[in-house]
Amino acid sequence: MLYCTCCIVPKDVLDRFANDRKLSAELRKAAANSARISDSLRRQRLQAGELTALTHAAGAHLVELAAAPKVTVYDCKNTQTLPGTPVAKPKTAKDGTAKRTFVETTAVANFYKQAFGRNSIDNAGMTMMSSIHFGTRYNNAMWNGTQMVYGDGDGKLFVDFTNGNDVIGHELTHGVTQHTLQLAYSGDAGGLNESMSDCFGSMFRQWRAGQDAKAADWLIGHDIIGPTARAKGFNSLRNMANPADKKALAPQPTQYAQITSGMDPHYSSGPPNLAFCTACKALGGKSWEKIGQVWYGALTTSGPQPAMTMPQFAGRTRQLAAQMYSGQAMVAAAVDKGWKQVGL
Amino acid sequence: MVDRIAVERLGGFAGFGGPGSHLRSRGEIEIDRLSAADRNAVDALFATRLARSTPTPDAFRYRLTRHVGDAVHVTEVAEEHVPAALRDCVSDELA
Repeated sequence: MLYCTCCIVPKDVLDRFANDRKLSAELRKAAANSARISDSLRRQRLQAGELTALTHAAGAHLVELAAAPKVTVYDCKNTQTLPGTPVAKPKTAKDGTAKRTFVETTAVANFYKQAFGRNSIDNAGMTMMSSIHFGTRYNNAMWNGTQMVYGDGDGKLFVDFTNGNDVIGHELTHGVTQHTLQLAYSGDAGGLNESMSDCFGSMFRQWRAGQDAKAADWLIGHDIIGPTARAKGFNSLRNMANPADKKALAPQPTQYAQITSGMDPHYSSGPPNLAFCTACKALGGKSWEKIGQVWYGALTTSGPQPAMTMPQFAGRTRQLAAQMYSGQAMVAAAVDKGWKQVGL
Repeated sequence: MVDRIAVERLGGFAGFGGPGSHLRSRGEIEIDRLSAADRNAVDALFATRLARSTPTPDAFRYRLTRHVGDAVHVTEVAEEHVPAALRDCVSDELA
């Protein structure tokens, strides 16, 4: 069991506190416990990295071992203790959040399988694990390296984060990125990392609705906006079709030239989001059928590229569009139009 | 002015505190109100440069500004490093 509420300070400091006779026995014990938890978390992060490398190398064989992922849901009961209590039968749970999380996570697994031939997060049938009711009035959802975590929202700015199936697709895609391009979470790579999650989260929402690129609203987080934010005229977190949209709670830049070092990845993902949306709309049809295939190809066939830049990613998608659809020049033209729209 | 720590929560899936963001999450706590364990933990956060681990996608970060007398010190840390008393002092709001 992992305790996210613990305060993880550097191990040498914790060890010093644990052995400091001037401190009370209670404080020394707390420091010693924190040092052990800190060690455990570090080991878990290292193991996650090693596992990612191993499955990446052995992938094709493992796919045959696990045909479909298991989907599990845990209830944090408004604490920040992970993973929480297992929900025995989430598919039929009375708790709407548990049931929705199970249904939509299973749907994401089906989406990746049917649209891209991918078997779960690691393409080897990895269990898709989610913890719900994390924290109190917690306005966030995240991927922590091994599982998804969802807050209930404060009921004012945001409602339950599992209400947005694009949010669920977004978080799971962080796992896919971890097992493929392994993009860092800063600089150009950080913006690409966030953009991958927005692109596949949005595609998943469109896939669930059976929408084509022109009918889709391309909004991220539309279904988790709370009543107070809606009353002020906000309708989403981000708008992939217009990243600078004033109705978005967190508007973004529209041009690659606007991106500078140190930007939050949720901000710098604006240009690649717009490039993807523009390409999909230019080509028409379902986003996941062709442009989505090109983006998936760039995500999964380039090997680990933690420091990949946006120009490099743009180049890779142009190359793949030409290769994958050599007899359909309109695909490469649509991809080109998308990147030119953002100055790449 | 009493010694205090101003706390701002940043990032997350929603992008709190970003350049164009309408979302802010801020709070403040008097240092005297912290437990001894939390004060020690805060001292460690400011005294030691935390090893940079891979950031957790969509996790919150916290910018802590400590005011002691006329001295002001700022540090920015991942949520997992922040004592609950500081995490819980912020309020999310539209800006």
